[in-house]
Amino acid sequence: MFTLFLQDIWKVLLYSLILGAGLPVVYALGVRASALGTVAADGAETAAVRRRQVLGKTVAGICFAVVLAGIGLGLAYIWASGHGDQLSFEHGSPTFVPKS
Amino acid sequence: MSAQLLTLVLVVIVALGFDFTNGFHDTGNSMATTIATGALKPKTAVALAAVLNLVGAFLSVAVALTVTNAVVSIQNSDGTPDSALTADHGSALLLIILAGLVGGIVWNLTTWLFGLPSSSSHALFGGLIGATIAGIGWGGVHWTGDSTKLDGVVGKVILPAFASPVIAAIVSMVGTWLIFRITRALGEGLNNGGFRWGQIGTGSLMALAHGTNDAQKTMGVITLSLIAYGSWTDLSAIPLWVKVSCAVAIALGTYVGGWRIIRTLGKGITEIEARQGTAAQGSAAAVILASSQLGFALSTTHVATGSILGSGLGKPGAHVRWRVAGRMAVAWFITLPMAALVGAGTWEIGNAVGGGLVGALLMVALLLVASGLMYARSRRHPITAENVNDDWEDPAAVLEPSDPVAA
Repeated sequence: MFTLFLQDIWKVLLYSLILGAGLPVVYALGVRASALGTVAADGAETAAVRRRQVLGKTVAGICFAVVLAGIGLGLAYIWASGHGDQLSFEHGSPTFVPKS
Repeated sequence: MSAQLLTLVLVVIVALGFDFTNGFHDTGNSMATTIATGALKPKTAVALAAVLNLVGAFLSVAVALTVTNAVVSIQNSDGTPDSALTADHGSALLLIILAGLVGGIVWNLTTWLFGLPSSSSHALFGGLIGATIAGIGWGGVHWTGDSTKLDGVVGKVILPAFASPVIAAIVSMVGTWLIFRITRALGEGLNNGGFRWGQIGTGSLMALAHGTNDAQKTMGVITLSLIAYGSWTDLSAIPLWVKVSCAVAIALGTYVGGWRIIRTLGKGITEIEARQGTAAQGSAAAVILASSQLGFALSTTHVATGSILGSGLGKPGAHVRWRVAGRMAVAWFITLPMAALVGAGTWEIGNAVGGGLVGALLMVALLLVASGLMYARSRRHPITAENVNDDWEDPAAVLEPSDPVAA
């Protein structure tokens, strides 16, 4: 049983690292990017600064969208566990199937 | 009203009482860091957590009838109660469940008094194990599963308890460290503002997952009692009133807020800022969801605590109070046996007076006395929404909540 446990626990660690550390890091990238262009030393709004701001906002938008998708996935997991289903990725996109 | 029906009513009330303690014991798991960093005002945070627990409880449509099967053998695998215990409207089974619930509640209140976050599921399972040993014997406990799946006390309770805080701490440490690398160029204002929503979002996810997982356990226990008594026969559904009352009980408990525990989690282990809060809650939510998806349930408490610890380890130059962490670890290890001891003792006392309604009434009376004493003791150094965030090291603010001999 102990080996069985170790097999499972590695998977938990792996998935958690990807989602639980990965998504907050993406969120942090978003926060960092949204601050691009706001740290100009002399405060002058040159074209270069504005370009950095646009780039920053775009990157931040993508990051936050990824995080929102991750939260959506989390909600789907909660929904599934409440309904006795599990999420299946067999067809690429997540679908609900009854728990085996 | 017959004596057996009265016993059933007592079991239901005590079960809802356990659900209530489950709620306030675990408010901190989802909201302690959010409160500690000021991302939300304390009252707002517990209100949000309460609503999400309520919603989460209603999301649990799946029937968790076999919840006790993980640790004891008082039901068959289809959820029906063991026929050896169902004579006389299930009074033998009702007494075991009642004693188990008393064990869970008493231990939950004890750890709350000392401000220690301990697992409510461990307390419930411990109480049931103790009551089962007393009522049926050692053979009634389901210690290990067969070699094909993780089951029993060892597989479903003890092994996960060792592993979950470690995993959560690793994930949270990695997350915190990376986040601090990425955002070190930003000022404090930008970071606190930017990560405020990260904290609120991840904390909310935790509260929702908690409602879905934990309310189910009480629903299962109550429905099992109804079946044993004979007033419910459907194995594929839970009575609506059971669902509603369990959802409301856990939400009310969450809203009351276990401030003593919130304080330990948010202020005691390490000083938290918004970036750490986001990393800790994100890691905790991911570990809980990943593990329940992979088929084994981890304790929200162990995971949340491990995550907060990890966020202290991952922040450059941060200080973790290992004394506080050590005391919590001790509480975790003794939760199961101590709740079992109380559960077994309660059953013996109830049985000594002949069981039945008299035994049940005596058990409930003891529970009320113990709860009242602990509540009275807590009022000597109350911790509320107002002083929950006071400096941990400042002795004038509040006495260290986990010091048992503080005068």
